[in-house]
Amino acid sequence: MEYANPQIKQVAEQLRGRLPNLQNKEEIFKAVELKALFDGIKTLPADERAEYGRELNGLKKELQALVEEAAGSELPTLESIDVTAPFDINTPLNQHPQLLTSDTGSKHPLTTEMEHVLDIFYRMGFNAIESREIDDDYHMFTSLNFPEGHPARDDYDTFSTDEGLIAPAHTSSMQNRILKMGKDNLDHDETIAYVIPGRVFRNEDLDARHEHTFYQIEGLYVGKGVHAGNLIATLKTFLQEYYDKELDVKTQPFYFPFTEPSFEFALSCPFCNKEGCSICGHSGWIELLGCGMIHPNVLREAGIDPLKYSGFAWGMGVDRLVMMKYDIEDIRNFESANLAFLRQFS
Amino acid sequence: MKVSLKEVSQYLDFDLPPIPELVDLIGSRLGAVEETSDYQEKYSGIVTARVVKSEPHNNSDHLHVCLIDDHRSVGEVERNADGLVQVVCGAPNVREGLDVVWIPPGKIVPESYSKDPFKLAVRDIRGIKSNGMLASSREMDLGDNHEGIIELPAGAEPGQDFAGAYGLDDTIIEIENKMFTHRPDCFGQLGIAREIAGICGHKFSSPKWYKEHPDSVDVGQERLEFKVRNDLSELVPRFTAVTVAGIRVGPSSFQLQTAIIKLGLKPINNVVDLTNYYMLLSGQPLHAYDYDKIKALNDGSPNLIVRRAEEGEKLRLLNGKMVELNGDNIVISGDKKPLGLAGIMGGSDTEVDDTTKNIILECATFDMYNIRRSCMQLGVFSDAATRFTKGQSSRQNRAVLTKVVGEVINEAGGSIASDIMDTANSLPESIKTTKVSGEFINQRLGLDLNEQQITTLLENVEFKCQTSVDSLTIEPPFWRTDIAIPEDIIEEVGRLNGYDKLPQALPLRNISPASCDPLLNAKAVIRQKLRAAGANEVLTYTFVHGNLLDKTGQDRSKAYQLANALSPDLQYYRLSLMPSLLDKVRQNIKSGYEEFALFEIGRAHTKERGMNDENLPKQDEYTAFVITANDKLAKTTAPYYRARKFLNELIPAALKFQPLESSMPSFAVMEPYQPGRSAFVTLENNDKFLGIIGEFKPTVTKSLKLPKYCAGFELDTTALSEVLNRQKTYVPLSKYPKIEQDISLRVDKRLPYAELAGFLQAELDKLAPDDTHTALMPLDIYASDDSSDKHVTFRLTIFSYLKTMVDGEVNELLDKMAASAKEKYHAVRL
Repeated sequence: MEYANPQIKQVAEQLRGRLPNLQNKEEIFKAVELKALFDGIKTLPADERAEYGRELNGLKKELQALVEEAAGSELPTLESIDVTAPFDINTPLNQHPQLLTSDTGSKHPLTTEMEHVLDIFYRMGFNAIESREIDDDYHMFTSLNFPEGHPARDDYDTFSTDEGLIAPAHTSSMQNRILKMGKDNLDHDETIAYVIPGRVFRNEDLDARHEHTFYQIEGLYVGKGVHAGNLIATLKTFLQEYYDKELDVKTQPFYFPFTEPSFEFALSCPFCNKEGCSICGHSGWIELLGCGMIHPNVLREAGIDPLKYSGFAWGMGVDRLVMMKYDIEDIRNFESANLAFLRQFS
Repeated sequence: MKVSLKEVSQYLDFDLPPIPELVDLIGSRLGAVEETSDYQEKYSGIVTARVVKSEPHNNSDHLHVCLIDDHRSVGEVERNADGLVQVVCGAPNVREGLDVVWIPPGKIVPESYSKDPFKLAVRDIRGIKSNGMLASSREMDLGDNHEGIIELPAGAEPGQDFAGAYGLDDTIIEIENKMFTHRPDCFGQLGIAREIAGICGHKFSSPKWYKEHPDSVDVGQERLEFKVRNDLSELVPRFTAVTVAGIRVGPSSFQLQTAIIKLGLKPINNVVDLTNYYMLLSGQPLHAYDYDKIKALNDGSPNLIVRRAEEGEKLRLLNGKMVELNGDNIVISGDKKPLGLAGIMGGSDTEVDDTTKNIILECATFDMYNIRRSCMQLGVFSDAATRFTKGQSSRQNRAVLTKVVGEVINEAGGSIASDIMDTANSLPESIKTTKVSGEFINQRLGLDLNEQQITTLLENVEFKCQTSVDSLTIEPPFWRTDIAIPEDIIEEVGRLNGYDKLPQALPLRNISPASCDPLLNAKAVIRQKLRAAGANEVLTYTFVHGNLLDKTGQDRSKAYQLANALSPDLQYYRLSLMPSLLDKVRQNIKSGYEEFALFEIGRAHTKERGMNDENLPKQDEYTAFVITANDKLAKTTAPYYRARKFLNELIPAALKFQPLESSMPSFAVMEPYQPGRSAFVTLENNDKFLGIIGEFKPTVTKSLKLPKYCAGFELDTTALSEVLNRQKTYVPLSKYPKIEQDISLRVDKRLPYAELAGFLQAELDKLAPDDTHTALMPLDIYASDDSSDKHVTFRLTIFSYLKTMVDGEVNELLDKMAASAKEKYHAVRL
């Protein structure tokens, strides 16, 4: 690169010459000559400053490119090794590769809890299958009785790809698949009983309470004569097993397009037995999940006759369960891969 | 949704239960209550007073010393001989004869009530004692005005309880909006009143003006004619409008202002406040236009046209924002110019203000989907749009308009100046009924209600029920646009009856076992094994920054890209897990962890894998692992072998490691790995890809600032699950002792270890006596730098099921193996 300003031209030549000898290439940016050029701006007449500044920035860019180039060529060349061998050449017997001590090992608290929850549902007779992480509008919305353009879609800020694929905002995106899969069972007088753990996504900003990536467990149960009381009893039984204590539960009316009626389900706070504590916000109750009787349109969409069969579904956040259990202060810890956090669950 | 219990009570013919009980009931039968504000408490002890005397404070340029008369309504306050109270006031508008709001000492300033309650005391202000204060709107939490104190309108009586006199002896509860996504009626106080009656078991009757409307209105002497043309009857099922002439626009009555403020809106003027009040009451938005401004903008024509906006048409809204419209938006237009964004917000050019004499009042219904789309496209939201997007019934348009026009004339004077224009051209004759049997309702709820109980619950909220032998025919009231199918009736019955009354009974099913998903099972096993090996499980995001893909040599174009990412950090679906794991190494090294292993079990998606039979991207199930140590822990051996140790621990089967070469076809998952120091992993007897293991390219190490000692693997979890779910093989025990002997061979340095080991194992299998069990273990691999040979030492363990073996036999066996190796590889036994 050529510089019209003689001072800049001179410094450029000096620095180009110096660069190869520097151990730490970044030091070139601390050169006194460079600083002097920058300081020089102030002393210039106003009409010369723009051109001078432009050239000076050009020099800085040139140096950056040179430093990067030097760094690239600096990469070590690695010799090939015998990848079929169990250990390196000349490894003393007492230094053969070792595992780490198992007391440093840990499972992630979310997956541990997920396994625990799934285990209870297995024992209650539920099959399990994981939800997808990339899906389409049909499974996320349409099959769940969200008509195109319906305002209820506003409650789900979904991520979508350039191709129009969707990062599901709920594990309910699996309902249609599972209902279709289990449809034949119903004719053999069996039920559809599934839990669906999975990672879901909401397009919302991060803070201590909100993650764009979180975990849910969906439940789905369909059979003959299934009623809303069955739903409440199933969830209550699960929660009592999970917390290993007697609990009160209550349902509040809610709205989801894919259930009718829909409920918000709350349990008496298992941490304070309704006395009021920081976990339940001193209310004695914890609103834990949304649920309801599966909407006939959802059953029909999967080829199930809603006059013959009925069922219920729920979706429960796993992150919240774990945060409450350990009184974790910040949801962002979960995806931080911070060992100070993870090793507490050794 | 804010609800005034005082407002609601006007429409009820029974006493509300105590507040906590009512709030519980609303929570369990209508929707979650987010907040309860006791206004009676908030304004407690505040009274009206009259300024009898106001004199400038000697020691101040703006303060006044006032004597106020409160008819001795407040006790324990210092009074003069005439019973007047001295208060110092700084407001410029304080003057003798003014009726004011007085906060006596000991009372809380309402503005501070819900934050940090500030209790007034008797204070000395520049040498003069002040007993409490005369309050501004802001201090009363009734608006932003702090220029001067509140001037109560004529008719105020000194010494009244302020809250009681102006409708603030109230409790405001806030119900979560989301519950009402499908309930247009619940966006009005009237709808909530009806629901409260229903859940309390009382019959509700809507006011007559809401359910019926006269066929015509009394038009006064002055006529202001205009025409309405609706070009969009499919999107605008009904549009009603009427003119009013000769009104006086000014501030609303204080009562009307407080009624609006309580429910979260700001008073504007008497006309606008009335339209807002009736929206808050009925859920039906209205709009008032300045008739003369419409004419001025449209060459003297006052007509209203409902049409689609022209592409690029511009309109300045009441909030001051200029919007550029598109052909999907609906506008209310004059003959020439657009006047308002239908159902969302009026235009500022035809705003009703103090100069307005004549108005057009509009009350219409707009398609909820269209309104929602327009709000989203233009980024304009309003209380009206919130209501229209819930699906307001067009059957209420004319009734509400008739009511409001009457109220406007009461409040602002003037007279009706036209007939009501009504384009109800597409209203169906009757409301659709729903047929459902009591048995069906009971079955879905698990209840045992009789027909009488069911019909009472529904009739309480103004449904019409007709019973026949085997079913109920139910006609919802016109405002319940959400009722369409039997399940909607079930919800109403269950909710009004109380969900707490649902029987709690577990469902019954046969005892066929639930099946475990093999993949979920395998994931649990992997997790357990790697944890036991001392590794830490992490979870990282599904979405990554494009830079991370670049840094690890992956190709962005293979990744699904989010069109609406929160930030560049989360822009692409990851192509494999390893980049995310490597991205987490440095932060932990920096935190001082000297040596650690991370793993993650998760998914990746790449375009190179194509679509499944649902035409959705195939999902790759991966297990990724990385082991690292900081540069202080000087490690002389290659980290590759350390990762391999963990891999062998994880997979209980013989594996084949095929060196990764730069000439091989490249897939995203392979990109971070360094050829020559990495390998494909397959089962020994099967070439199916199980995973990749190795050290990372120097460019990766450098760009992610990884320590020198760093290696890892990434396995296909699905393939791995097949291996992990296999039956273990058992070796029967022998009663005879085992013998161990070592064998060292000198071979060409370039001979891969596995080839030699495999050859020796095969020889061993061939040569070992019958009824023996053998195992060959590597002990040592030695080479000096300058030599072209290496020494490989194995330990043979052997035992027989028939006899005690002797050393000689074993040595002979090793000799034979060595001889074969010599023939094949020129190996020399040492």
